Amino acid sequence: MPRRCLLTLSAAAAVALALAGCAPTASTDVAATNHAVTDASGTATVFISGDTNVQSLWTDAIIPAFEKANPGASVTTTLDLHGEHDAQTMAKLTSSVQANDDPGFDLIDSGFIQAAGKAGLLEGVSADNVPNLATVPDTTVKAGAGFGIPYRASSVLLAYDSTKVKTPPTTLDELLKWITANPGQFTYNSPSTGGSGAAFVTTVLDKYVSDKSRTAMTTGYDQSLEGEWDKGFDELKKLGASMYQQGVYPNGNNQVLELLGTGAIEMAPVWSDQVITAQKTGTLPANIKYAQISNPSFTGSASYLGIPKTASHKDVAQKLADYVLSSEGQALIASTIAGYPVISLDNVPADLKDKFASADPSALRPTYYSQMASDMNNLWDAKVPGQ
Amino acid sequence: MALPPVILLALFVGVPVVLAIGFSLGHTGGLNSTIASIGLNTREATSWWGTAQAYVDVFTDPRFTRDLGVTVGVTVVSTVIVLALALGIALNLRLRGGRLASVFAGLAVVPLFIPVVIASWAILTFYSGDGFVRTVFALVGLTGPTWGYTTVAVIIGSVWTSLPFATLMAISGVQSIPDAMIEAARDAGASSFAIVTRILVPLSAIPLVIAATFTAIGVLGSFTVPYFTGPNAPSMLGVDISKYFQAFNHPQQAIVMAVVVFVLASGIAFFYVWANFRSAKKEGRV
Repeated sequence: MPRRCLLTLSAAAAVALALAGCAPTASTDVAATNHAVTDASGTATVFISGDTNVQSLWTDAIIPAFEKANPGASVTTTLDLHGEHDAQTMAKLTSSVQANDDPGFDLIDSGFIQAAGKAGLLEGVSADNVPNLATVPDTTVKAGAGFGIPYRASSVLLAYDSTKVKTPPTTLDELLKWITANPGQFTYNSPSTGGSGAAFVTTVLDKYVSDKSRTAMTTGYDQSLEGEWDKGFDELKKLGASMYQQGVYPNGNNQVLELLGTGAIEMAPVWSDQVITAQKTGTLPANIKYAQISNPSFTGSASYLGIPKTASHKDVAQKLADYVLSSEGQALIASTIAGYPVISLDNVPADLKDKFASADPSALRPTYYSQMASDMNNLWDAKVPGQ
Repeated sequence: MALPPVILLALFVGVPVVLAIGFSLGHTGGLNSTIASIGLNTREATSWWGTAQAYVDVFTDPRFTRDLGVTVGVTVVSTVIVLALALGIALNLRLRGGRLASVFAGLAVVPLFIPVVIASWAILTFYSGDGFVRTVFALVGLTGPTWGYTTVAVIIGSVWTSLPFATLMAISGVQSIPDAMIEAARDAGASSFAIVTRILVPLSAIPLVIAATFTAIGVLGSFTVPYFTGPNAPSMLGVDISKYFQAFNHPQQAIVMAVVVFVLASGIAFFYVWANFRSAKKEGRV
């Protein structure tokens, strides 16, 4: 079981061994070699629904490099900041596909790929039309269900102030004990406002959820399973008094990073890419260290790209997706937003291989299905804060 | 000449409002079909006028009644504080005058030029656990209050954002009262208190009522200030509506809350219409 593995970024070598022991199939399945993309020509539009870091990944890194490697190609972007209009974008995509019309974008980078694919709005993808997909571990590709192109990954980690916390917790139970033993020194953002808080809530709930129900919760919507969350919510409610200011859950991933950076709290769950970027830009001091916990670990997942069925520049979009999965593309993702590579680590440059040895995307524990997550947010809001 | 604006209002305000109220009553067909297919926990109409089930859902949720109470409470307290401050600044400028009074009046308008997001963030850090207030208290060996992420911070933020408009209204109302009336009252032996309560406040009642209604409606529907500076629970309805609509994917319940806020705001707006009507009547326009 990959989830039983101890994943620690700071102990890369040990983890490489552990992973080799736990998930031996992840890399042996991959025999294909990664190739560079230099033969694209034409125009395409990328639709970005995400934060500013994802926007700069496309406009400042991937697109200029892609256009340089493919002089005949030109790519533009459309941004929906924080994905606030995802519902409208989905509606637009649906009506365009139904009318067999060009939706106005050729490649989508968004959280609604899963939903759009299920609704039959996306073009099928495989190693035939995106050759570099063959270098991505099988489990990651399968999670895309034949229409999502995995292109980067991130997970939630436990960040702590190393000057105050000498022996950080390594399992969930140790973490929960630490929180009650150190009242006011831990918090997580409300799960509806950011993935890092949602990962903490999910992980505590998972402690009491059976493996079978958990698999069902990550692949579909079944309200009858939500009774298994009750014990987890009770646990979270009890933790409330030990939170920062006896029950403050900030809104958004960044507010938690801010509290951690100013020393108001000593420990918090954070996104891997955000904490690495924050340390690089200096908004988080160097005494903040981070590690993964185990049994169970915090959730994480790959992000997916999709190509609308009726896009008018599918060929360029496929080339662009192929480029993103090439080793240059993956290196750009790692250097720009500290995203984990999704292609098997044999195919990435050597310096990246060491940096991300602990971040095998096929070993990440997936988050709940989007509608299950909506219900989780609602129940958390009803049961945990202010009780 | 009035026709184009009327058509514009009907299309872009009237139709969406009617559609939304229809959706809250369970009319999920037609233009509401997209939102109905995306949202979870949507109640369908069971009779010709719809169903009140979504309203029952919302009103039986203890979170809603709690947050409704907090929203009304924050609105009343903020409006009273804003009016008291605005009137104080205006009266000081009118009766005492001088450079300091002008500086106060100018300072009160400053928040108008600072975006609410930035102001909310500044208020949060100012009153937070490691903020300015606690730091000053700590310097003299005392423990200051931590108001970040509390309803107190929400009230401070609401007062901050509403003060400029109320101050401008109060100043213009009090300044327009002729000197002759104040001097006549003084000659007849009236105290400053009597001049304020029996001449200045009654004569500037209409601008003050307008200031109060605008402040109350603004605070009632506020989102940014409570979202940034307030606690997760209890929160204000503006934050709840956004949470129900986006994070919980319960658009119907979000619209029910919006209707409740709309009804409350209409009640406040009644006073605004009444004040406008009275001032028009006084000037002989109706």
